[in-house]
Amino acid sequence: MIDLALKDLREHNVRTFLTALGIFIAITAIVSLGSISAGLNELVTSSTASIGSDTIFVMKTFDLSEMMGPGGYQIEDMNKEDVEFLRTLPGVKRVVPIISRQFGGFFEVDALDMDAIGIWGMQDIEFKEGSWPDNEDEGAVLGYLVANTMDVVVGDYIVLPGSEKKHEVDVMGIFEEGSGAYDLVVLLPYEYGDEIYETEGGATQVMIEPMDVSLVQEIKDTIEEEGDDLDAMTMEDALAMMEEATGTLNIMTFGIGFVASLVAAIGIIITMYTSVLERRRQIGIMKAVGAVRRVILQQILEEGLIISVVSSVLAVVVSLFFVEMLNNVLLGGSNLALITPVLAIGAVTYGILLTVMASMYPAWVAVKTDPIKAIREGM
Amino acid sequence: MKGGIFELKDVWKIYSMKGVETNALRGISLKIKKGEYTAILGPSGSGKSTLMHVMGCLDTPTKGSVFVEDREVSEMNDDELAKIRREKIGFVFQAYNLIPGLTAIENVALPMRFNGHGRSESHQRAKELLRKVGLKERMTHKPNELSGGEQQRVAIARSLVNDPDVIMADEPTGNLDTKSGREIMGLMESLHKKTRKTIIIVTHDIRLAKLAYRKIKMLDGRIVDDGKIVD
Repeated sequence: MIDLALKDLREHNVRTFLTALGIFIAITAIVSLGSISAGLNELVTSSTASIGSDTIFVMKTFDLSEMMGPGGYQIEDMNKEDVEFLRTLPGVKRVVPIISRQFGGFFEVDALDMDAIGIWGMQDIEFKEGSWPDNEDEGAVLGYLVANTMDVVVGDYIVLPGSEKKHEVDVMGIFEEGSGAYDLVVLLPYEYGDEIYETEGGATQVMIEPMDVSLVQEIKDTIEEEGDDLDAMTMEDALAMMEEATGTLNIMTFGIGFVASLVAAIGIIITMYTSVLERRRQIGIMKAVGAVRRVILQQILEEGLIISVVSSVLAVVVSLFFVEMLNNVLLGGSNLALITPVLAIGAVTYGILLTVMASMYPAWVAVKTDPIKAIREGM
Repeated sequence: MKGGIFELKDVWKIYSMKGVETNALRGISLKIKKGEYTAILGPSGSGKSTLMHVMGCLDTPTKGSVFVEDREVSEMNDDELAKIRREKIGFVFQAYNLIPGLTAIENVALPMRFNGHGRSESHQRAKELLRKVGLKERMTHKPNELSGGEQQRVAIARSLVNDPDVIMADEPTGNLDTKSGREIMGLMESLHKKTRKTIIIVTHDIRLAKLAYRKIKMLDGRIVDDGKIVD
């Protein structure tokens, strides 16, 4: 008798609206926060998938756990000797030194051998305009967002923050929009980066390609034993680390969503309970004229179901707009926040389950209403 | 049905409030046959409404047995009692007890929908009954848009929607002016004559009681006089 449930909801439109608002806010919070988690997961998966599984990353780190607490460390540039040491290791096929600098919060400059872009899986990135610089060029290729933020096109030049001398770097290429992490980078030839940042043949990180995948562990062990404060990380280690980081983020975002939904659930219990108390007489009359327990239970649950379906679906639709705005306004046109079908369907299902569960107790109170008492109250 | 439609054997109803016990019914034994028009009379607090509620499966006795068509009520669960109320008995209350948010037609159709019938079928039947009680023009009005007499006529139509064997009316004219009261009395009378339904009316309105063939007088939870049928 869904028509009766609908009629009752319309009859008490303020109460209905407030209950729906609670669910709406909770589901919007879950979907909006969840979209950032989902977007980051996607980014991690897509960027790690493009790098060869046998690649070893090397960095120079100093343990700062005494100063900064557990896990604290600082990355230092490796010097020329460190890079040379890596080149001499047995089983190494190719060594790619990369100079990396962060800027503007989101962005990163990477200087590397332009013949080695395959090691990062970058050979497939499509260009909006221009092309890769050669190793001899004093130019760079820019991620879409970097070019957008700096408002430059191919043929313009940029000055990279943090460079000692004011080098004018030619913009030689701009990647197509939506290239994932590469939306946020500036890539230039190693020699030129070395000159700009005065690293004298050093590197921030080195990527090593072994002759064979079976040598990965052996090379890693040698680096850590014989290198000067060098840390080697295999692709497996890197994946595990990133998964741990995104996992923590997932727990945080869904934790906030969960708390929001608990508050909403309490709201639902209160409004539905009040509504049952308000309608005690009506429920008593229904029982007096022959409604069985199932009918009463069904009506209360149907009311919860209608409210939750409408408000959860609406919350997902509104979140789509939110995320679009977040991506365009705050994240400068990236696709970092992402509402996946799993997230959308999961959030709606959760909203419905939450409401139906929160309606259980009020429904039970309704079922237990004594018709005689309800009728006497009306006399 | 050897015991008639209702049979009560030594029925007690004791209310306990803050340790004080009140005997609403004190050992009532009674048999009501099919087709009887019975009035239960008595001053307020004499237990007549409680008696009707116990007979009508709205309430359970503290002691004693109540049989409805030879089935003992105390052995039934809530849903079985609801089924009896829905199918066998139509209730008319002093305060009408209509559902405020529903129109006249929806109120009348409600017990039929509880009985598993669809919306359109129930509304069809409700329309027919509302026409019979003279509310053809007021079908889509909500209770607060109807006069007391009209609301009681809606309640009578509702009591008839599942075509029950018994109509139980608790002070049906209690809240009405003389004219509306007379109309309701006329309606009950013609109902009995036309359909031969068992009618049990709780009242202290002597004019309404006069229409009944059997008059049960109550005082302090006991039957003090049971004027048998002069049919």
